[in-house]
Amino acid sequence: MSNSRNSRRTQQWRDTTIPRRPLLWLAAALLFTLPALLGTLASWVPFLFLFALVLKFWMEPRGYRLRSTSLKLILMALTLGAIFLSYNTLKGIEPAVSLLTVLVSLKILEAHTAREFQVMVTMAWVLCLCGFLLSQDLAIAFCLFVAFALLIAALVQFHRGSSPGAFWLPLATTLKLVAQAAPVVVLLFLLFPRINTGFQFRIGDLHAAMTGFSDRLSPGGIEMLANSSDIAFRAEFPDRRTRPAGPMYWRGLVMWHCEGLEWRAPYAPASISDSSRQYPASDKAIRQRITIAPHGARWMFALDRPFGIPSGAMLARGNYLYSVQPIRKSRRYEVLSSTDPIGKELGARERREALQLPASISPAVRELAGSLAARNSGPRATVASALQFFRTQGFRYSLSPGEYNKNDLDEFLFRRRTGFCEHYAASFATLMRLAGIPARVVVGYLGGEYNDLGGFFLVRQADTHAWCEVWIPENGWTRIDPTTAVAPDRASLDLSSFLAGRIASGEMATGRTAFVTQLARLPLVNQIRLIWEALNYQWDTRVLAFDADVQDVLLTSLGLTNSGPFPLVMQVLIVVSALLIIYAGWMQLQTRPRADRIQALYERYCQKLARIGVQRDPWEGPSDFAKRAAQSLPNASECVRQITETYIALRYAPGPTAISLDKFAKEIDAVTAHR
Amino acid sequence: MKAGKFPLLYPTASFAGLLFVLGAMWYAASSQNSPAVYLLLFALTAVFLVSIPHTLLNLADVTIAPESAKPAFAGQEVSLPVEIMNCSRATRRGIQLVVPGRGGKRKHVDCIPAGKAARVTLRFPAKQRGEHRIATLRLTSTYPLGFVRVLKKFGSSQTYLVYPKPSGDPRLPMHRARSPHSRPQTELAEGDDFAGVRAYVPGESQRHIDWRAVARGQPLMTKQFAAEAEGSVHLDFSALRFHGAEERLSQLALWVIEAERVRRPYSLRLPNTEIAPAVGEAHFHRCLRALSLFPGKEGA
Repeated sequence: MSNSRNSRRTQQWRDTTIPRRPLLWLAAALLFTLPALLGTLASWVPFLFLFALVLKFWMEPRGYRLRSTSLKLILMALTLGAIFLSYNTLKGIEPAVSLLTVLVSLKILEAHTAREFQVMVTMAWVLCLCGFLLSQDLAIAFCLFVAFALLIAALVQFHRGSSPGAFWLPLATTLKLVAQAAPVVVLLFLLFPRINTGFQFRIGDLHAAMTGFSDRLSPGGIEMLANSSDIAFRAEFPDRRTRPAGPMYWRGLVMWHCEGLEWRAPYAPASISDSSRQYPASDKAIRQRITIAPHGARWMFALDRPFGIPSGAMLARGNYLYSVQPIRKSRRYEVLSSTDPIGKELGARERREALQLPASISPAVRELAGSLAARNSGPRATVASALQFFRTQGFRYSLSPGEYNKNDLDEFLFRRRTGFCEHYAASFATLMRLAGIPARVVVGYLGGEYNDLGGFFLVRQADTHAWCEVWIPENGWTRIDPTTAVAPDRASLDLSSFLAGRIASGEMATGRTAFVTQLARLPLVNQIRLIWEALNYQWDTRVLAFDADVQDVLLTSLGLTNSGPFPLVMQVLIVVSALLIIYAGWMQLQTRPRADRIQALYERYCQKLARIGVQRDPWEGPSDFAKRAAQSLPNASECVRQITETYIALRYAPGPTAISLDKFAKEIDAVTAHR
Repeated sequence: MKAGKFPLLYPTASFAGLLFVLGAMWYAASSQNSPAVYLLLFALTAVFLVSIPHTLLNLADVTIAPESAKPAFAGQEVSLPVEIMNCSRATRRGIQLVVPGRGGKRKHVDCIPAGKAARVTLRFPAKQRGEHRIATLRLTSTYPLGFVRVLKKFGSSQTYLVYPKPSGDPRLPMHRARSPHSRPQTELAEGDDFAGVRAYVPGESQRHIDWRAVARGQPLMTKQFAAEAEGSVHLDFSALRFHGAEERLSQLALWVIEAERVRRPYSLRLPNTEIAPAVGEAHFHRCLRALSLFPGKEGA
């Protein structure tokens, strides 16, 4: 008795009905949504998620599942509390995504019916959506699209039924569906109007993840970026696909305010009035098309020095591009630059600003600056002797020069003499100001890696560089890069190759292991990296940059915007339906049974007999039918026998038969005569 | 079998889930002006749209041929074997067959290769005695993605018989034996002499099933015993003292089964029919058929 009750209870526990295979596909899809969410989830949530997946695959064959309502409620309350403890709030996108992931985890443990499988798939789509909202990096997008395909495969597998079959079959169907869907996606993506709902929600702290330099050049600030492989921007040269002669200095922003080793850019830079701008000869202009990665600040990059202004930006004092809006998403613009020095005269206010100095300069530094200026007469000679000072006094270029404070100018110039580009630029500009030469610091990027496939230069955060500009009356603002005095190769190579060279010659220690460095220099790895970067570029420029504004430009150029969005929606829908009808027709043609002449002739014969009065039943074999027909039509019995024999020979004989189809046709034509 | 002109197409419950997801994606995409989310939205929309012709064509050139259903007793299950033929040149997957309005379960067929057929047995409860017509059979499919369901109706003239539910007194009516050749009987004892086996008829007592034969993998057979008592038994509708016709038919059905089981010749007399005494499977079904078709409260 108790035994039977026990077994009934066990039976009750064991009633999972979701077949294992669709669940496997679904689990794989959920795993692929995880990378996109990792940065946002509370640290314990991914572990819970993975634990739930593993537990499900342990429970499922044994037939266990989470079924007690009170246990579910307790778990729900516990996880909700844990999320609150992790974030100190339940509002905002991060707790929401964590909560959703937790819900999915609990659902995995609970689900057992077909409907719950559908609910899980729906939740997985929403996780994909969250992933795309949180990160639009190509690698993440790739993972999410894999998850998308796996979800479709899970659905296909689910609706196929539970019979055993090839494992790749749902995948093949998925690929077919995706391939057929691709033209529809392109059409919808390009033409379907992006109607703005006007209701925005901000996804919190997006710019926390953004990297880039700040408006303050402090010792150690650029060093931190030197190991970052994040992309700063990509540049194409649409007119000449070759790189311009000489090293590429990408101008970022100009710093005027000196505090010794630390420099600062104005908080709200004044724009250069249109009349005071000078345009160089147009044949010397270099056109660039730049796709900038979001960095949260407002400066934009262009080859030294820009003079054409892209829309939504201004040219700030100091000849650098300054965006009207903070750059929070990928943006593409065209800009013209000229390598000629610009500036014919220095205004009184600018001169004052370019000579500003902090009070805390030590007498030793003042003495050094005085000696640099006194020995020579002109500013050019002063500059040259200062560079000579850096070159000959045992200064070293290093990624890890140790810590400096902003007042450590003495420490750097007289004692340690080890620094990174920012130390050289800051100290050089300070020395120039002390020597009476107007000077400023420019922060931007140097170099960039050319990608053959994409035909663009990729500039990373690691390429961040700082240099100086000094005012030389007959020439205007002139670029001086004091780092080249110490490390002459730096300007002609990008930083990573420069460092690689240093590491190879044993001059520098590195954080990376030798193996990784070796691996990164293999031609195959390098090739793969270049392809990946080219793909990244296409993703950024063709997909991520194609927002509502760009679409508007495209639609206008196609002449489709005149009539408003709704006729356009109708047109798109008509084209899509036409495409679907074509697909349906094509598939129908592919799968329709082949017209079979023997069968067609035999059916004609059956129709003839039916007219005479003998109807063939659908389940009746030809011989049975012939017997019956011969009985009820004794006159035609010979003919019926003959035709049936021929038919069977034609249709079922193993080898090719000698009987011609025409003879068969004639026999059938003769049927009415025997009536 | 003749199919309806056009297959019908309608959304399933999971379509509601899809609409919710698409709505969420559209809202997120338009409020963030995010091309990546738009891409996801359009990808899901496009895959859904493309799946429609796939589902629609999943039943193209698929026909069915119902075989004859075996008679069953009321209160039991009718099983209707149906052959689903795939005449197309593609493998068809995820097909369901259902008889509408009979309360039976839908039957799933996972896969029918090109040019092949699958045989399924539909089971649904036999509710009322009489001859019933299966007006329509439905093939449905939601393959591949399950957002829409295609439905193909097949008209049918297939009929099946439901015998009256056997009930009442299992003792055969001895005193009503009117055969001049029969010896008077006081009681019909179950004979001990094994007289052979015959095919099991659904509805009879399972006591006499030859389980040993079943264990050997043979079909269900009923053991028959020769009764000591010889002579035929007359089963007469009008001689029964019940009020309702249905009760009388049930009693007669039970007696037919019992008499057949002990292999005693029996005759059946209904107000409209008379069947001469005999024994054997053909006679057995003939009698039950007559009972089943007896005019009165009869299923359509």
